[in-house]
Amino acid sequence: MSLMLIALLLGHHAFGSEFDPNRPILLKGKVVRVEWVNPHAWIHMEVTKPDGTKEVWMVEGGSPNSLLRRGVTKESLPPGTEIVVDGYQARDYTLKRANGRNVTYPDGRKLFLASSAPDAEK
Amino acid sequence: MKTLVALICVAAIPVIAAGQARTPDGHPDLQGTYDLATLTPLERPAGAKAALTAEEAAKFEKEVEARKQAAGQAISGDRSAPPKGGDGSTGPAGGVGGYNNFWLDPGSSFTVVNGERRTSLVIDPPDGKVPPLSAGARQRFAAARAAAPTSDTTESRDPGLEPPGSYDNPEQRPLGERCILGFGSTSGPPALPDYFYNNLHQIVQTPQYVMILTEMVHDARIIRMNSEHLPKTVRKWMGDSIGRWEGDTLVVDTTNFTDKTRFRGATQNLHVVERFTRVAPNALLYRFTVEDPDTWDRSWTGEYTWPATDANIYEYACHESNYALENILRGARRREADEAAQKK
Repeated sequence: MSLMLIALLLGHHAFGSEFDPNRPILLKGKVVRVEWVNPHAWIHMEVTKPDGTKEVWMVEGGSPNSLLRRGVTKESLPPGTEIVVDGYQARDYTLKRANGRNVTYPDGRKLFLASSAPDAEK
Repeated sequence: MKTLVALICVAAIPVIAAGQARTPDGHPDLQGTYDLATLTPLERPAGAKAALTAEEAAKFEKEVEARKQAAGQAISGDRSAPPKGGDGSTGPAGGVGGYNNFWLDPGSSFTVVNGERRTSLVIDPPDGKVPPLSAGARQRFAAARAAAPTSDTTESRDPGLEPPGSYDNPEQRPLGERCILGFGSTSGPPALPDYFYNNLHQIVQTPQYVMILTEMVHDARIIRMNSEHLPKTVRKWMGDSIGRWEGDTLVVDTTNFTDKTRFRGATQNLHVVERFTRVAPNALLYRFTVEDPDTWDRSWTGEYTWPATDANIYEYACHESNYALENILRGARRREADEAAQKK
């Protein structure tokens, strides 16, 4: 019966052709804005590099429609929210884009699951 | 006289099933929004029986829920980047792991038809499996693999490792990636569940037309009632659908597919017959029969229940912000540029 779970994993776009398994990344920073769009939402976040300069990265999420049905909106992730992202960088490494394999608050709680109330994380 | 007229009118209306809502023309009212999410896969897993007992289904559904809860648990905020070379994930996650579970909204229970908790949508052949490809189809596939990949390549099962040419232009990418049709035949026909999210479908019905809106990837299929098929020269992504009533069942016949849709490798000669029947005030039974003599040696049939939902269906607007397609193509260009620089 465990085979059934395999079926659940099929049927989506090829993440591996968009992101590079040889370029793992860890991003810590503040949300700048959220593109609440299909087919994938994108979280823009400002990251401070070791030399003190800042750059903005884009992090890919899933479709926002199912989150909307649960009452989560882009306001649930207001600018300034501190987040931690681990994932892999886009295959075109001149782009500052990555998949949000795990997107959490600094204490490790997964986004949105902790609370869907916009004010709860401020 | 008034009484007589009323009696005649009543006699002209088909037998009304208990509680069956009807449109003014007397046909069952199938309108509403339905959530097609289910745990039941298209094909029966090896070794599974056709239906589960209530206890077996509950046990599995509980496991799925536990898995979901576990995926939602906090992890270390001080974690490091994932391993170089990939995180070991397979399938579409392609070694890079996709994205958090909180985005997903898959099914949480098995489809129930005639009181049976089914382990496959496919009911014919009785083994619950899509029939094997015909010899001709296998030859066709081998030839297609040898040639450059085309736009209608199904979603890659081995992403990042597709043959050269797969990324040459947007039209060679799969239809789902291009926001033309939903992944895995969500729009249909036949309409299959998406095992990730966004499984809502809306039916709007008039005497002349029935429209089925699929949230993912935005597809609206318009079915002409009591009509003839368009000339064979007119081809559509979702085929040409015509409908008729057989008693209280809406029967939709679809032909005239393009040679790019290729449902499970089928040709443009794919023929799909769908049957929509209201089985409860809050549920439809959806049954589909698929045939294409150029692809399978026999037709095959599947069915599942479409439960009604009060949830809102949202616009998908897939194409406008499809960074993923851009990233995939730019990634290939970057790789080519780097390889060319190395050769110098």
